[in-house]
Amino acid sequence: MEDYKFLFKIVLVGNAGVGKTCLVRRFTQGLFPPGQGATIGVDFMIKTVEVEGEKIKLQIWDTAGQERFRSITQSYYRSAHALILVYDISCQPTFDCLPDWLREIQEYANSKVLKILVGNKTDRDDREIPTQIGEEFAKQHDMYFLETSAKEAENVERLFYEIAAELIGQARSKDGNSAAAAAAQRQADGGGSIGLGNLSAKAAQSNCCGGLNSSGTGNNSSQGG
Amino acid sequence: MEMSKLNLNEMFSGWDISTTEKVDEGLLRIAEKEADVNARLEAVLSKQCQIEAKLSGISKAMTTLLAVENDSNKLNMQIVNTAQLAESVSAKVRRLDLARCRASECQQRVHDLIDLQLCSQGVVKAINEEDYEKGAGHIARFLAMDQQLLQRTADDVQGSITSVSDAVRTLEDATEKMRELISKRFDEAVQHDDLASVERFFKIFPLVGCHRIGIEKFSGYICQKLSAKAQKELRNTQDIAKAERRLHLAYADRLTAILENFARVVEVNQPIIEAFYGQESSSLVDMVTILQRECDLEVKNLLLEFNKNRQIQYRIKQVNDSAQRQSGASMAGNSIQSLGHYRKPSGGSIDKLNPKDIDAIIAEITVMHSRIELYFRFMRRRLQTNAETCLQDKEAQKQILDVYEKVVKQCDLSRQMQEILSTYLLFEKYFMEESVMKAIGLDTYEAGQQCSSMVDEVFFILRKSIRRSLTTQSINGTCAVINNVASCLDGDFVTALRAPLKNGYPSGYIDLAQAYNAIQTSLQQGKLHSSDADRVRTNFIVQLNNADMSTEYIETLWQTMEQEIAGTFPNISPVERQLLDSCLTELKTIRDALKATVDFGIQQLRSSAIRPRLNPWVDEFLNYSHHLTEEELSAYEAGETFVQYFIVQLDGLLNSFKNALSARNYDALVSILATEVTNRLERAIMKSTFNRLGGLVLDQEVRALGTYLTGATSWSVRDKMTRLSQIATLLNLDKVSELSEYWNPENNSEMPSWRLTPNEARTILALRSDFRMDDIKRLQL
Repeated sequence: MEDYKFLFKIVLVGNAGVGKTCLVRRFTQGLFPPGQGATIGVDFMIKTVEVEGEKIKLQIWDTAGQERFRSITQSYYRSAHALILVYDISCQPTFDCLPDWLREIQEYANSKVLKILVGNKTDRDDREIPTQIGEEFAKQHDMYFLETSAKEAENVERLFYEIAAELIGQARSKDGNSAAAAAAQRQADGGGSIGLGNLSAKAAQSNCCGGLNSSGTGNNSSQGG
Repeated sequence: MEMSKLNLNEMFSGWDISTTEKVDEGLLRIAEKEADVNARLEAVLSKQCQIEAKLSGISKAMTTLLAVENDSNKLNMQIVNTAQLAESVSAKVRRLDLARCRASECQQRVHDLIDLQLCSQGVVKAINEEDYEKGAGHIARFLAMDQQLLQRTADDVQGSITSVSDAVRTLEDATEKMRELISKRFDEAVQHDDLASVERFFKIFPLVGCHRIGIEKFSGYICQKLSAKAQKELRNTQDIAKAERRLHLAYADRLTAILENFARVVEVNQPIIEAFYGQESSSLVDMVTILQRECDLEVKNLLLEFNKNRQIQYRIKQVNDSAQRQSGASMAGNSIQSLGHYRKPSGGSIDKLNPKDIDAIIAEITVMHSRIELYFRFMRRRLQTNAETCLQDKEAQKQILDVYEKVVKQCDLSRQMQEILSTYLLFEKYFMEESVMKAIGLDTYEAGQQCSSMVDEVFFILRKSIRRSLTTQSINGTCAVINNVASCLDGDFVTALRAPLKNGYPSGYIDLAQAYNAIQTSLQQGKLHSSDADRVRTNFIVQLNNADMSTEYIETLWQTMEQEIAGTFPNISPVERQLLDSCLTELKTIRDALKATVDFGIQQLRSSAIRPRLNPWVDEFLNYSHHLTEEELSAYEAGETFVQYFIVQLDGLLNSFKNALSARNYDALVSILATEVTNRLERAIMKSTFNRLGGLVLDQEVRALGTYLTGATSWSVRDKMTRLSQIATLLNLDKVSELSEYWNPENNSEMPSWRLTPNEARTILALRSDFRMDDIKRLQL
C-alpha cells in the first residue's frame, strides 16, 4: 500500500456546481454520478498513478464551493502542491468569480504552488466562455489551462497525469539543487529545466489541439507578500 | 505365422543353394527355425486349459445374469406403479387442499359478510352515539376486508339479497363521514387545546385509513405548541440564563432546550406511532420531517437573536478587517516582518478585537454546534430502531434512513449548522493567531531557565484550540483547526524563532561584520544598551532552546491529539480517519521545519562562536617546539603544556554554554566542537615537524584531549577523534618499519580501521625529522 516515491496534494477549488466532485470521481473511480449533491466541507480521495516509471500517490482534496464552507476549505490551501481552479464553460458567473478565487489563493496558498485553470463541461452545447478567453486569463495569471468534460471523460486523466509529471519535475529539480546525487535525475528531466517549461513542452509533444498552455516562466518568482 | 512363412519364402529365395554345403547350411537354419516354431506352439497350447476354464466360468455367470435381469425388470415395474400411485394420491391431496382453501376463503367471506352486517349496523349506531373508537373499529374491520372480493361476493349473491352491496355502501358512506368527523373533532380539540382529545383522535386516524392525515395533523398540533413555547422562552433567554448563572452560554442553552423539546416529542410518541400506525412504516419519518420544518424555524429565530445579541456580524467584520490590515501590512514591508518577530501588538486601533473577548463566544458556538450534531445523531438512532421494529427487510429499513438523510441534508438546520461552524473557524483562527502573536510579543525570559515563556504559552494555546475544535463534534472543523495550527506554527512561530538565529551569535565582536549587524539589529528594535551583545547572545541561545523544545512539544501535541480524536470520534469511517491523519501529518512536517531551524542555529553558533575563538587556541600549537631533548621534555612537562592550556580554554567555552543550552543542543554543540578541533589541530600538526620525543608528547596530548571531549558529552565523540589519534600514533613510532605491524588490520583487531590513506600516512611520517625519506618510500602499504 505505502509503496510510492512521491506524495502530492492537489486541491480543487471553484464555484459551487462547476463539477469539481465529478472531475475527482471520474478520475479516481471512473464514474460520472449525475445528480451529485453539494459537497460538505471537503472530500478526500487517493489515487496512485505511475508516471515516468515512478509510483506517485495523489491526495486529492475536493472542496465545497459554497461560501459558508470557505473557512474550512481555505485551511487546505497552505499544504497544497497543486491547485486546480475550476469554472463552468457554460456559466459566465463561474468565470467572473475567478479573480476572487485567485485573491484567496494568493492569501492562503504557498506562493510556489502549481496553479491550473480548468474549464469544465465541454460536453455542453451552450458554451458561454470561448476557449481563447480562458486561455488568455490563464496566461495573464501564470496558470496552466485545460478544458475538460467529466461527463465524457475528456482530458480528465490528462489533467491529473500532467500535474503529477510536472510536480515530479519540480521535486527533482529541488533535490538537484541540494544534492549532487540527483544530477542524473535532473538530466532525465531535460537539463534541469525547472517549473513550467516541462509541462508545456509535454503538451506540445502529445500534440493535442488546444492543450495545456504554459504562461511563461513566472512559477518560481515569488508573488510578493 | 503367415508372416513368418512369408519370411521363410523370402529367406529361401535369397539363399544360394548351388552347392551341397550351402544346402546343408540352409537345412540347418530351417531346422533351427522349426525348433523355434515348435517351442512357441507348445507355449500357446499350454494356455488352453486356462482359457477353457475361463470360458466355462463365463457361461455359468450368464445364467445368473439372466436372473438379475428379470429381478430388475420387476423392480422397475414396481417403481412405475408406485409413482403412478403417488401421483394420483398427491393429485387428490392437491384437490383437497384447494377445496380447503376455498372453504376457508368461503368461511372468510362468510365472516366478512357477517361482520359487514354487524359493522354496517354498528357503525351508524356508534356514530350517532359519538362512540368514535367503536365506529372506527368497525370501519377498520371493513377496510381490512378485501374490497374487490367483497364486490365479487356481492355479485355472487346477487338477486337473493341486495343487503351486501347495501352494507358496503353504508360502510363506505360511514367511512367518509367518520373521516370528516374525526378531522373536525381533532381540529376542535386543537382549538380547545384539549390534549386528551387530541391524543384520542390521533389514535383513531389510522383506524379509518388516514395515517398520513393523522401524522400531519398531530405533528402540526405539536409544532404549534412548541412554537408558542419557544417564542416565550426566546424572549426570556437572558433571564433564564441569569437565573441559572450561565449567561455566557445563554443561547447555547436555549438551542439545547429547543432541540431537546423536539427530541422528546419523538421519543414519547415513537411507541404510540409504532402501536397505532405500525402498518404504515414511514409514519415516524413523516412526523420527523414535519417537525424538522418547525425546528428549522425556531432555530433560525434563536440564531437571529444570538447573532444580534452577541454582535456576531460586527465581530466577523472586525476579524476580517484585521486580517486584511495584516495582509496589507505584510505586503508593504516584508523586511520588517522578518526582522521584528511580531507585527505590532494589538494596540493602535481601538476597533481591534481582543481575542479574549471572543473566547467565551467561541466556547458557546462549539456547544451549539455539538448540540445540533447530537440532535441529528439521536434522530438517526430513533429512526433506526423504528425501522427495525416495523420492517424486516434490510433494504426497506435502509430506505427509511435514506429518507431521513435527505431531510438532514436539505433542512435549514444543517445549513445553519454549517454557518455556525464557519463562524467558529473564523473566530478560532483569529483567537489562535492573535494569542500566539501576543505570546511571542510578550515573550519573557527568566534567568536560570533554558527556554522563554512563549514556547509553553504558544503550545498551550494551540492545544486549547484543537481541543475546542473536538468539542464541536465536527470532523471537518477539527481538520480545519489542525490545518490552521500547522500554518500558524509554520508562519509566525517559526519566523519568530528563526529571526534571532539569522542574526547570528555575537561572540565578543571578533568578526566586525557580525558586530555591526548586531548593533544594527538593536538599533532597529530601538533597544541599544551597554549589555546589548549579552542580550542578543542570551536571546539567541534561548530561541535555539525554544526551537529544540518545540520539536518535543509538537510530538507530544500530535500524540495526545491522536488519542483525543480517537476518544471523541469512536465510530469514525475510514475516509474520515484518512482525512484526520492527513491533517495531523502536517504537524510532522512542521516538526521537521523546527528541526531544520535548530540545525541552522547550531551552524550559526559554529561559525560565530566556535570557529573564531577556537582557531587562535589551536594555532598556539605552532608556537611550541616539537623537537625536544630529554631535558626540554621534563621542562615542558613541568610547565603548562599545550594540551593543558587548550583544555582550559575549551572548558571555559563549553561551560559558558553548558547550563544555557538544552541537553540536546549542548550535545550537538560539543559534537560540532569536536569536529572543528580535530580538523584545525590536524592542520596545525601538518604544519609542524617532530622528533621522537615531540611525537611522544603529541600522542599523549591527543589522548588527553580525547578523554576530555569524551567526558564532556553523553554522545560518543570518540569516533570523531579517530583520525587524529591515528596521526599521533604514526608520529609516535620508534622506527618507520614499525608501521607495517600496525597497518595490517589482521594483526590489530582492537584498533579501528585506518582513516588515513597510504599517501597521507607517508606524508605524516615525513613530518618526523628523524625518519629517513627512503625508509618511508620503501614502506609497503
